Amino acid sequence: MILVTSLGRIISFSWKNIIRNAWIGLATVLVLVLALLSVNVLIGVNALASSAISILEKKIDVSVYFLPETPEAILDQARSYMASLPQTESVIVSTADQALEAFKERHSNDPSILDALNELDENPLGATMIIKASKTTDYPYLMEALNNPQFSFAIESKTYDDHTVAIDQVQQIAATIRYFGLILTVIFTIFSALIVYNAIRVAIYTQREEIGIMRLVGASNAFVRLPLIIDAIFFALLALLISAALIATIISVGEPYLLAFYDGADPGLKTYFTANFVPLVVGEGLVISLVVAMASWAAVGKYLKK
Amino acid sequence: MIDLQNISKVYGSDVHGLRDVNVNIEPGEFVCIVGTSGAGKTTLAKLLIAEERPTRGKIKIGGWDITKIKRRDIPYLRRQIGVVFQDFKLLKKKTVWENVSFALEVSGETNKRIREIVPHVLKVVGLDQKAHRFPYQLSGGEQQRVVIARALVHRPKILLADEPTGNLDTINTADVIEVLKKINNFGSTVILVTHNREVVNSLKGRVITLADGRIISDKKHGKYILQS
Repeated sequence: MILVTSLGRIISFSWKNIIRNAWIGLATVLVLVLALLSVNVLIGVNALASSAISILEKKIDVSVYFLPETPEAILDQARSYMASLPQTESVIVSTADQALEAFKERHSNDPSILDALNELDENPLGATMIIKASKTTDYPYLMEALNNPQFSFAIESKTYDDHTVAIDQVQQIAATIRYFGLILTVIFTIFSALIVYNAIRVAIYTQREEIGIMRLVGASNAFVRLPLIIDAIFFALLALLISAALIATIISVGEPYLLAFYDGADPGLKTYFTANFVPLVVGEGLVISLVVAMASWAAVGKYLKK
Repeated sequence: MIDLQNISKVYGSDVHGLRDVNVNIEPGEFVCIVGTSGAGKTTLAKLLIAEERPTRGKIKIGGWDITKIKRRDIPYLRRQIGVVFQDFKLLKKKTVWENVSFALEVSGETNKRIREIVPHVLKVVGLDQKAHRFPYQLSGGEQQRVVIARALVHRPKILLADEPTGNLDTINTADVIEVLKKINNFGSTVILVTHNREVVNSLKGRVITLADGRIISDKKHGKYILQS
Protein backbone atom coordinates (compact mmCIF):
# COMPACT_ATOMS: atom_id res chain seq x y z
CA MET A 1 0.00 0.00 0.00
CA ILE A 2 2.84 2.38 1.01
CA LEU A 3 4.68 1.40 -2.16
CA VAL A 4 1.64 2.20 -4.30
CA THR A 5 1.16 5.53 -2.49
CA SER A 6 4.83 6.45 -2.93
CA LEU A 7 4.79 5.41 -6.58
CA GLY A 8 1.70 7.52 -7.18
CA ARG A 9 3.39 10.52 -5.57
CA ILE A 10 6.62 9.99 -7.49
CA ILE A 11 4.65 9.95 -10.77
CA SER A 12 2.69 13.01 -9.67
CA PHE A 13 5.94 14.90 -8.81
CA SER A 14 7.41 13.76 -12.12
CA TRP A 15 4.42 15.07 -14.06
CA LYS A 16 4.63 18.44 -12.28
CA ASN A 17 8.32 18.66 -13.24
CA ILE A 18 7.47 17.99 -16.89
CA ILE A 19 4.84 20.74 -16.93
CA ARG A 20 7.12 23.22 -15.12
CA ASN A 21 10.09 22.54 -17.39
CA ALA A 22 8.17 22.12 -20.65
CA TRP A 23 10.61 24.16 -22.78
CA ILE A 24 13.70 22.38 -21.50
CA GLY A 25 11.84 19.13 -22.09
CA LEU A 26 11.01 20.13 -25.65
CA ALA A 27 14.68 20.83 -26.44
CA THR A 28 15.65 17.50 -24.92
CA VAL A 29 13.02 15.68 -26.97
CA LEU A 30 14.27 17.39 -30.15
CA VAL A 31 17.84 16.17 -29.63
CA LEU A 32 16.63 12.68 -28.76
CA VAL A 33 14.53 12.64 -31.96
CA LEU A 34 17.67 13.57 -33.95
CA ALA A 35 19.62 10.78 -32.26
CA LEU A 36 16.88 8.24 -33.02
CA LEU A 37 16.56 9.45 -36.61
CA SER A 38 20.29 9.01 -37.17
CA VAL A 39 20.09 5.46 -35.81
CA ASN A 40 17.14 4.67 -38.05
CA VAL A 41 18.79 6.20 -41.13
CA LEU A 42 21.61 3.76 -40.47
CA ILE A 43 19.16 0.87 -40.14
CA GLY A 44 17.32 1.99 -43.31
CA VAL A 45 20.55 2.16 -45.32
CA ASN A 46 21.39 -1.35 -44.17
CA ALA A 47 17.95 -2.56 -45.21
CA LEU A 48 18.27 -0.88 -48.63
CA ALA A 49 21.75 -2.30 -49.17
CA SER A 50 20.62 -5.80 -48.16
CA SER A 51 17.67 -5.51 -50.49
CA ALA A 52 19.89 -4.35 -53.39
CA ILE A 53 22.38 -7.15 -52.76
CA SER A 54 19.59 -9.72 -52.55
CA ILE A 55 18.14 -8.53 -55.88
CA LEU A 56 21.57 -8.71 -57.52
CA GLU A 57 22.26 -12.12 -56.00
CA LYS A 58 19.01 -13.46 -57.44
CA LYS A 59 20.25 -12.47 -60.89
CA ILE A 60 23.40 -14.59 -60.64
CA ASP A 61 23.26 -18.12 -62.06
CA VAL A 62 25.23 -20.53 -64.22
CA SER A 63 23.62 -21.60 -67.51
CA VAL A 64 24.93 -24.85 -68.93
CA TYR A 65 24.16 -25.63 -72.59
CA PHE A 66 24.35 -29.30 -73.56
CA LEU A 67 25.06 -30.66 -77.02
CA PRO A 68 21.82 -31.28 -78.97
CA GLU A 69 22.21 -35.06 -79.06
CA THR A 70 22.94 -35.43 -75.32
CA PRO A 71 21.09 -38.50 -73.98
CA GLU A 72 18.46 -38.08 -71.26
CA ALA A 73 20.49 -40.32 -68.90
CA ILE A 74 23.51 -37.98 -69.05
CA LEU A 75 21.27 -35.01 -68.41
CA ASP A 76 19.76 -36.76 -65.37
CA GLN A 77 23.20 -37.67 -64.11
CA ALA A 78 24.37 -34.05 -64.44
CA ARG A 79 21.26 -32.75 -62.73
CA SER A 80 21.47 -35.27 -59.86
CA TYR A 81 25.14 -34.63 -59.29
CA MET A 82 24.86 -30.85 -59.26
CA ALA A 83 21.69 -30.93 -57.08
CA SER A 84 23.43 -33.19 -54.57
CA LEU A 85 26.12 -30.58 -53.85
CA PRO A 86 25.52 -28.59 -50.64
CA GLN A 87 26.65 -25.42 -52.47
CA THR A 88 23.71 -25.74 -54.89
CA GLU A 89 20.44 -24.01 -54.12
CA SER A 90 18.48 -25.07 -57.20
CA VAL A 91 18.92 -26.81 -60.52
CA ILE A 92 16.43 -26.35 -63.35
CA VAL A 93 16.79 -28.41 -66.50
CA SER A 94 15.02 -27.54 -69.73
CA THR A 95 14.94 -30.25 -72.40
CA ALA A 96 15.93 -29.48 -75.99
CA ASP A 97 12.24 -29.12 -76.94
CA GLN A 98 11.57 -26.79 -74.01
CA ALA A 99 14.68 -24.80 -74.91
CA LEU A 100 13.43 -24.46 -78.49
CA GLU A 101 9.98 -23.35 -77.31
CA ALA A 102 11.57 -20.80 -75.03
CA PHE A 103 13.81 -19.57 -77.82
CA LYS A 104 10.83 -19.18 -80.16
CA GLU A 105 8.91 -17.37 -77.43
CA ARG A 106 11.80 -14.96 -76.85
CA HIS A 107 12.07 -14.17 -80.53
CA SER A 108 8.37 -14.23 -81.43
CA ASN A 109 8.68 -10.67 -82.79
CA ASP A 110 11.63 -11.52 -85.01
CA PRO A 111 10.30 -13.33 -88.18
CA SER A 112 13.79 -13.70 -89.69
CA ILE A 113 14.98 -15.84 -86.79
CA LEU A 114 11.75 -17.85 -86.77
CA ASP A 115 12.05 -18.42 -90.55
CA ALA A 116 15.66 -19.56 -90.16
CA LEU A 117 14.55 -22.03 -87.52
CA ASN A 118 11.85 -23.42 -89.80
CA GLU A 119 14.46 -24.02 -92.48
CA LEU A 120 16.23 -26.48 -90.17
CA ASP A 121 15.06 -30.10 -90.06
CA GLU A 122 16.29 -30.71 -86.53
CA ASN A 123 16.23 -28.84 -83.28
CA PRO A 124 19.58 -27.04 -83.21
CA LEU A 125 19.36 -26.41 -79.49
CA GLY A 126 20.41 -28.73 -76.77
CA ALA A 127 19.08 -29.06 -73.24
CA THR A 128 19.87 -26.26 -70.77
CA MET A 129 20.63 -26.48 -67.07
CA ILE A 130 20.39 -23.39 -64.87
CA ILE A 131 22.15 -23.67 -61.51
CA LYS A 132 21.83 -21.28 -58.61
CA ALA A 133 24.31 -21.41 -55.74
CA SER A 134 23.43 -21.09 -52.05
CA LYS A 135 26.00 -18.28 -51.69
CA THR A 136 27.63 -16.07 -54.31
CA THR A 137 31.03 -17.30 -53.15
CA ASP A 138 30.03 -20.86 -54.12
CA TYR A 139 29.94 -20.21 -57.91
CA PRO A 140 33.64 -20.88 -58.58
CA TYR A 141 33.22 -24.26 -56.85
CA LEU A 142 30.15 -25.09 -58.96
CA MET A 143 31.92 -24.06 -62.16
CA GLU A 144 34.70 -26.47 -61.18
CA ALA A 145 32.17 -29.21 -60.40
CA LEU A 146 30.80 -28.96 -63.96
CA ASN A 147 34.14 -30.38 -65.17
CA ASN A 148 33.04 -33.79 -63.88
CA PRO A 149 34.13 -36.23 -66.64
CA GLN A 150 30.84 -38.17 -66.27
CA PHE A 151 28.97 -35.39 -68.14
CA SER A 152 31.43 -32.61 -68.99
CA PHE A 153 31.97 -34.07 -72.48
CA ALA A 154 28.27 -33.33 -73.26
CA ILE A 155 28.51 -29.65 -72.31
CA GLU A 156 28.64 -27.35 -75.26
CA SER A 157 29.07 -24.11 -73.34
CA LYS A 158 28.61 -22.50 -69.95
CA THR A 159 27.77 -18.90 -69.11
CA TYR A 160 28.21 -17.34 -65.72
CA ASP A 161 26.25 -14.12 -65.25
CA ASP A 162 28.70 -12.54 -62.84
CA HIS A 163 27.26 -9.66 -60.78
CA THR A 164 29.89 -9.93 -58.09
CA VAL A 165 31.47 -6.61 -59.06
CA ALA A 166 28.12 -4.85 -58.58
CA ILE A 167 27.57 -6.71 -55.30
CA ASP A 168 31.03 -5.68 -54.09
CA GLN A 169 30.29 -2.07 -54.96
CA VAL A 170 26.95 -2.12 -53.11
CA GLN A 171 28.63 -3.77 -50.13
CA GLN A 172 31.39 -1.17 -50.14
CA ILE A 173 28.95 1.72 -50.32
CA ALA A 174 26.86 0.16 -47.54
CA ALA A 175 29.96 -0.38 -45.39
CA THR A 176 31.02 3.25 -45.85
CA ILE A 177 27.54 4.53 -44.99
CA ARG A 178 27.42 2.15 -42.02
CA TYR A 179 30.82 3.42 -40.82
CA PHE A 180 29.92 7.10 -41.01
CA GLY A 181 26.40 6.38 -39.75
CA LEU A 182 27.85 4.65 -36.73
CA ILE A 183 30.08 7.65 -35.98
CA LEU A 184 27.04 9.92 -36.38
CA THR A 185 24.98 7.69 -34.08
CA VAL A 186 27.69 7.64 -31.39
CA ILE A 187 28.01 11.45 -31.60
CA PHE A 188 24.24 11.93 -31.34
CA THR A 189 24.02 9.45 -28.46
CA ILE A 190 26.74 11.30 -26.53
CA PHE A 191 25.04 14.64 -27.30
CA SER A 192 21.72 13.22 -26.14
CA ALA A 193 23.20 11.97 -22.88
CA LEU A 194 24.89 15.33 -22.25
CA ILE A 195 21.78 17.32 -23.09
CA VAL A 196 19.60 15.15 -20.88
CA TYR A 197 22.22 15.52 -18.14
CA ASN A 198 22.09 19.31 -18.46
CA ALA A 199 18.31 19.40 -18.79
CA ILE A 200 17.99 17.52 -15.52
CA ARG A 201 20.57 19.83 -13.90
CA VAL A 202 18.46 22.81 -14.98
CA ALA A 203 15.33 21.04 -13.72
CA ILE A 204 17.07 20.49 -10.39
CA TYR A 205 18.08 24.15 -10.29
CA THR A 206 14.48 25.27 -10.80
CA GLN A 207 13.39 22.90 -8.04
CA ARG A 208 16.39 23.27 -5.74
CA GLU A 209 14.23 24.68 -2.96
CA GLU A 210 11.78 21.79 -3.07
CA ILE A 211 14.53 19.18 -3.35
CA GLY A 212 16.43 20.81 -0.46
CA ILE A 213 13.31 20.60 1.71
CA MET A 214 12.66 17.02 0.60
CA ARG A 215 16.14 16.06 1.78
CA LEU A 216 15.76 18.07 4.98
CA VAL A 217 12.52 16.38 6.00
CA GLY A 218 13.81 12.88 5.34
CA ALA A 219 12.85 11.99 1.78
CA SER A 220 14.90 9.04 0.61
CA ASN A 221 17.37 9.62 -2.18
CA ALA A 222 15.25 7.35 -4.38
CA PHE A 223 12.23 9.58 -3.81
CA VAL A 224 14.24 12.64 -4.89
CA ARG A 225 15.83 10.80 -7.81
CA LEU A 226 12.97 8.81 -9.31
CA PRO A 227 10.71 11.68 -10.48
CA LEU A 228 13.63 13.17 -12.43
CA ILE A 229 14.56 9.79 -13.93
CA ILE A 230 10.91 9.21 -14.88
CA ASP A 231 10.92 12.66 -16.57
CA ALA A 232 13.95 11.66 -18.65
CA ILE A 233 12.38 8.34 -19.65
CA PHE A 234 9.15 10.14 -20.54
CA PHE A 235 11.12 12.48 -22.84
CA ALA A 236 12.88 9.48 -24.38
CA LEU A 237 9.60 7.66 -25.07
CA LEU A 238 8.02 10.83 -26.48
CA ALA A 239 11.03 11.20 -28.78
CA LEU A 240 10.64 7.55 -29.81
CA LEU A 241 6.99 8.15 -30.70
CA ILE A 242 7.78 11.29 -32.71
CA SER A 243 10.69 9.66 -34.54
CA ALA A 244 8.55 6.60 -35.37
CA ALA A 245 5.89 8.88 -36.87
CA LEU A 246 8.54 10.81 -38.81
CA ILE A 247 10.17 7.64 -40.14
CA ALA A 248 6.79 6.19 -41.21
CA THR A 249 6.02 9.44 -43.08
CA ILE A 250 9.47 9.61 -44.70
CA ILE A 251 9.22 5.99 -45.90
CA SER A 252 5.69 6.39 -47.27
CA VAL A 253 6.65 9.53 -49.18
CA GLY A 254 10.19 8.57 -50.15
CA GLU A 255 10.06 4.88 -51.05
CA PRO A 256 8.25 5.31 -54.41
CA TYR A 257 11.18 7.48 -55.56
CA LEU A 258 13.57 4.60 -54.85
CA LEU A 259 11.74 2.23 -57.23
CA ALA A 260 13.67 3.63 -60.22
CA PHE A 261 16.99 2.67 -58.58
CA TYR A 262 15.74 -0.85 -57.94
CA ASP A 263 14.63 -1.56 -61.49
CA GLY A 264 10.99 -1.57 -60.38
CA ALA A 265 11.62 -4.12 -57.61
CA ASP A 266 10.61 -3.48 -53.99
CA PRO A 267 13.42 -1.50 -52.27
CA GLY A 268 12.32 -3.28 -49.10
CA LEU A 269 12.40 -0.28 -46.76
CA LYS A 270 8.74 -0.35 -45.74
CA THR A 271 8.77 -4.15 -45.66
CA TYR A 272 11.82 -4.16 -43.38
CA PHE A 273 10.50 -1.55 -40.94
CA THR A 274 7.04 -3.16 -40.85
CA ALA A 275 8.43 -6.66 -40.25
CA ASN A 276 10.83 -5.44 -37.54
CA PHE A 277 8.59 -2.80 -35.98
CA VAL A 278 8.30 -4.43 -32.54
CA PRO A 279 11.97 -5.37 -32.05
CA LEU A 280 13.07 -1.96 -33.36
CA VAL A 281 10.72 0.01 -31.12
CA VAL A 282 11.47 -2.14 -28.06
CA GLY A 283 15.23 -2.17 -28.71
CA GLU A 284 15.55 1.55 -29.42
CA GLY A 285 13.16 2.36 -26.57
CA LEU A 286 15.23 0.33 -24.11
CA VAL A 287 18.58 1.74 -25.24
CA ILE A 288 17.48 5.40 -25.31
CA SER A 289 15.66 5.00 -21.97
CA LEU A 290 18.78 3.46 -20.45
CA VAL A 291 21.00 6.26 -21.79
CA VAL A 292 18.75 9.05 -20.49
CA ALA A 293 18.08 7.27 -17.19
CA MET A 294 21.83 6.95 -16.60
CA ALA A 295 22.40 10.60 -17.56
CA SER A 296 19.60 11.64 -15.21
CA TRP A 297 20.89 9.37 -12.43
CA ALA A 298 24.32 10.96 -12.72
CA ALA A 299 22.89 14.51 -12.79
CA VAL A 300 20.80 13.97 -9.63
CA GLY A 301 23.55 11.97 -7.94
CA LYS A 302 25.95 14.85 -8.24
CA TYR A 303 23.37 17.06 -6.53
CA LEU A 304 22.58 14.55 -3.78
CA LYS A 305 26.24 14.35 -2.80
CA LYS A 306 26.28 18.04 -1.95
CA MET B 1 20.29 10.71 23.84
CA ILE B 2 23.00 12.79 22.12
CA ASP B 3 26.63 12.03 22.77
CA LEU B 4 29.45 13.95 21.12
CA GLN B 5 32.89 12.61 21.93
CA ASN B 6 36.02 14.62 21.07
CA ILE B 7 34.42 16.12 17.99
CA SER B 8 36.61 18.22 15.73
CA LYS B 9 35.73 19.61 12.35
CA VAL B 10 38.38 21.08 10.12
CA TYR B 11 37.58 22.72 6.77
CA GLY B 12 40.38 22.53 4.28
CA SER B 13 43.71 22.20 6.04
CA ASP B 14 43.55 24.80 8.78
CA VAL B 15 40.05 26.26 9.28
CA HIS B 16 38.71 24.83 12.51
CA GLY B 17 34.91 24.71 12.83
CA LEU B 18 34.97 22.72 16.06
CA ARG B 19 37.83 21.68 18.33
CA ASP B 20 37.60 18.64 20.59
CA VAL B 21 33.97 19.15 21.62
CA ASN B 22 32.43 16.82 24.23
CA VAL B 23 28.71 17.10 24.93
CA ASN B 24 26.11 14.81 26.39
CA ILE B 25 22.43 15.74 26.14
CA GLU B 26 19.83 13.72 28.02
CA PRO B 27 16.31 12.94 26.74
CA GLY B 28 13.80 15.73 27.42
CA GLU B 29 16.42 18.45 27.94
CA PHE B 30 16.04 21.99 26.57
CA VAL B 31 19.56 23.09 25.64
CA CYS B 32 20.66 26.44 24.29
CA ILE B 33 23.83 26.52 22.26
CA VAL B 34 25.17 30.04 22.08
CA GLY B 35 28.14 31.77 20.60
CA THR B 36 29.16 34.59 18.35
CA SER B 37 29.26 34.24 14.57
CA GLY B 38 31.88 31.69 13.56
CA ALA B 39 31.93 30.08 17.01
CA GLY B 40 30.88 26.70 15.55
CA LYS B 41 27.14 26.64 16.41
CA THR B 42 25.92 25.92 12.90
CA THR B 43 28.72 23.41 12.30
CA LEU B 44 27.50 21.55 15.37
CA ALA B 45 23.91 21.63 14.07
CA LYS B 46 25.02 20.35 10.64
CA LEU B 47 26.94 17.48 12.24
CA LEU B 48 23.84 16.43 14.17
CA ILE B 49 21.75 16.05 11.00
CA ALA B 50 24.67 14.49 9.09
CA GLU B 51 24.85 17.35 6.63
CA GLU B 52 28.55 17.30 7.44
CA ARG B 53 30.84 14.68 8.94
CA PRO B 54 33.30 15.27 11.77
CA THR B 55 37.02 15.21 11.01
CA ARG B 56 37.63 13.46 14.32
CA GLY B 57 35.54 12.08 17.17
CA LYS B 58 32.31 10.16 17.50
CA ILE B 59 28.63 11.21 17.41
CA LYS B 60 25.92 8.99 18.82
CA ILE B 61 22.22 9.78 18.68
CA GLY B 62 19.92 7.51 20.68
CA GLY B 63 22.73 4.92 20.71
CA TRP B 64 23.13 5.13 16.91
CA ASP B 65 26.67 5.97 15.86
CA ILE B 66 26.21 8.43 13.01
CA THR B 67 29.88 9.38 12.69
CA LYS B 68 30.25 7.48 9.46
CA ILE B 69 26.57 7.19 8.56
CA LYS B 70 25.87 5.85 5.07
CA ARG B 71 24.19 8.24 2.67
CA ARG B 72 21.18 5.95 2.28
CA ASP B 73 20.59 6.04 6.06
CA ILE B 74 20.55 9.85 6.34
CA PRO B 75 16.81 10.15 5.50
CA TYR B 76 16.00 7.85 8.46
CA LEU B 77 18.13 10.01 10.77
CA ARG B 78 16.39 13.16 9.55
CA ARG B 79 12.99 11.67 10.27
CA GLN B 80 14.12 11.31 13.89
CA ILE B 81 15.42 14.86 14.22
CA GLY B 82 13.07 17.72 13.45
CA VAL B 83 14.97 20.67 12.03
CA VAL B 84 14.04 24.35 12.06
CA PHE B 85 16.17 26.99 10.32
CA GLN B 86 16.27 30.76 10.42
CA ASP B 87 15.31 31.12 6.75
CA PHE B 88 12.05 29.11 7.13
CA LYS B 89 12.51 27.00 3.96
CA LEU B 90 8.80 26.93 3.14
CA LEU B 91 7.43 26.26 -0.33
CA LYS B 92 5.82 29.52 -1.41
CA LYS B 93 3.29 27.93 -3.76
CA LYS B 94 1.97 25.53 -1.15
CA THR B 95 -0.47 26.29 1.63
CA VAL B 96 0.32 25.76 5.32
CA TRP B 97 -1.39 22.36 5.16
CA GLU B 98 0.48 21.36 1.99
CA ASN B 99 3.85 22.48 3.37
CA VAL B 100 3.35 20.37 6.48
CA SER B 101 1.91 17.36 4.66
CA PHE B 102 4.78 17.52 2.12
CA ALA B 103 7.18 16.12 4.75
CA LEU B 104 4.88 13.16 5.21
CA GLU B 105 4.21 12.66 1.50
CA VAL B 106 7.89 12.38 0.62
CA SER B 107 8.36 9.87 3.43
CA GLY B 108 5.69 7.59 1.99
CA GLU B 109 3.05 8.16 4.70
CA THR B 110 -0.49 7.15 3.74
CA ASN B 111 -3.11 9.81 2.98
CA LYS B 112 -5.17 8.61 5.93
CA ARG B 113 -2.27 9.13 8.34
CA ILE B 114 -1.53 12.53 6.78
CA ARG B 115 -5.14 13.59 7.42
CA GLU B 116 -4.71 12.55 11.07
CA ILE B 117 -1.25 13.99 11.75
CA VAL B 118 -1.37 17.40 10.01
CA PRO B 119 -4.33 18.91 11.95
CA HIS B 120 -2.76 17.65 15.17
CA VAL B 121 0.63 19.33 14.64
CA LEU B 122 -1.02 22.51 13.33
CA LYS B 123 -2.99 22.65 16.57
CA VAL B 124 0.22 22.21 18.61
CA VAL B 125 1.75 25.28 16.91
CA GLY B 126 -1.53 27.20 16.97
CA LEU B 127 -2.10 27.40 13.25
CA ASP B 128 -5.09 25.09 12.86
CA GLN B 129 -7.23 28.05 11.78
CA LYS B 130 -4.76 29.12 9.07
CA ALA B 131 -4.19 25.77 7.38
CA HIS B 132 -5.24 26.99 3.95
CA ARG B 133 -3.23 30.19 3.89
CA PHE B 134 -0.10 30.61 1.83
CA PRO B 135 3.23 31.57 3.47
CA TYR B 136 3.04 35.15 2.15
CA GLN B 137 -0.26 35.55 4.02
CA LEU B 138 1.45 34.79 7.36
CA SER B 139 3.69 36.79 9.70
CA GLY B 140 7.32 35.76 10.18
CA GLY B 141 6.51 34.10 13.48
CA GLU B 142 3.63 32.17 11.94
CA GLN B 143 5.84 31.03 9.08
CA GLN B 144 8.39 29.77 11.58
CA ARG B 145 5.63 27.93 13.42
CA VAL B 146 4.68 26.22 10.14
CA VAL B 147 8.29 25.07 9.89
CA ILE B 148 8.12 23.77 13.45
CA ALA B 149 4.88 21.94 12.63
CA ARG B 150 6.57 20.38 9.60
CA ALA B 151 9.50 19.33 11.79
CA LEU B 152 7.10 17.65 14.21
CA VAL B 153 5.19 15.44 11.76
CA HIS B 154 7.57 12.51 12.19
CA ARG B 155 7.19 12.81 15.98
CA PRO B 156 10.93 13.34 16.41
CA LYS B 157 12.55 12.74 19.78
CA ILE B 158 14.85 15.68 19.04
CA LEU B 159 13.99 19.12 17.69
CA LEU B 160 16.96 21.10 16.44
CA ALA B 161 16.28 24.80 15.93
CA ASP B 162 19.12 26.77 14.34
CA GLU B 163 18.56 30.49 14.90
CA PRO B 164 14.76 30.11 14.56
CA THR B 165 14.15 33.65 15.81
CA GLY B 166 16.92 35.32 13.84
CA ASN B 167 14.49 37.00 11.45
CA LEU B 168 11.71 37.70 13.94
CA ASP B 169 10.64 40.66 16.05
CA THR B 170 10.25 40.41 19.82
CA ILE B 171 6.57 39.36 19.80
CA ASN B 172 7.03 36.70 17.15
CA THR B 173 10.20 35.49 18.88
CA ALA B 174 8.24 35.01 22.10
CA ASP B 175 5.55 33.06 20.19
CA VAL B 176 8.10 30.71 18.66
CA ILE B 177 9.91 30.14 21.96
CA GLU B 178 6.57 29.36 23.62
CA VAL B 179 5.91 26.69 20.98
CA LEU B 180 9.38 25.20 21.52
CA LYS B 181 8.78 25.07 25.29
CA LYS B 182 5.43 23.39 24.68
CA ILE B 183 7.11 20.76 22.51
CA ASN B 184 9.76 20.24 25.19
CA ASN B 185 7.01 19.78 27.76
CA PHE B 186 5.57 16.98 25.59
CA GLY B 187 8.88 15.15 26.15
CA SER B 188 10.98 16.03 23.10
CA THR B 189 14.58 17.12 23.48
CA VAL B 190 14.97 20.65 22.15
CA ILE B 191 18.32 22.06 21.01
CA LEU B 192 18.13 25.77 20.38
CA VAL B 193 21.06 27.34 18.57
CA THR B 194 20.90 31.09 19.07
CA HIS B 195 22.75 34.28 19.85
CA ASN B 196 19.64 35.99 21.27
CA ARG B 197 20.58 37.02 24.81
CA GLU B 198 16.99 37.70 25.98
CA VAL B 199 15.75 34.32 24.79
CA VAL B 200 18.60 32.44 26.47
CA ASN B 201 18.26 34.29 29.74
CA SER B 202 14.46 33.94 29.82
CA LEU B 203 14.63 30.18 29.43
CA LYS B 204 16.81 29.66 32.52
CA GLY B 205 17.89 26.24 31.20
CA ARG B 206 21.11 24.54 30.16
CA VAL B 207 23.40 26.81 28.15
CA ILE B 208 26.42 25.58 26.21
CA THR B 209 28.67 28.44 25.10
CA LEU B 210 30.97 28.04 22.15
CA ALA B 211 33.87 30.28 21.18
CA ASP B 212 36.34 29.66 18.41
CA GLY B 213 35.08 26.08 18.00
CA ARG B 214 35.53 25.17 21.66
CA ILE B 215 33.08 24.80 24.54
CA ILE B 216 33.99 27.51 27.00
CA SER B 217 31.01 27.01 29.32
CA ASP B 218 28.34 24.37 29.91
CA LYS B 219 25.93 25.32 32.74
CA LYS B 220 22.76 23.48 33.77
CA HIS B 221 21.06 26.78 34.58
CA GLY B 222 23.15 29.14 32.54
CA LYS B 223 22.98 32.62 31.14
CA TYR B 224 24.21 34.37 28.05
CA ILE B 225 27.74 35.27 29.08
CA LEU B 226 29.18 36.67 25.84
CA GLN B 227 29.72 40.34 25.16
CA SER B 228 27.34 41.76 22.56
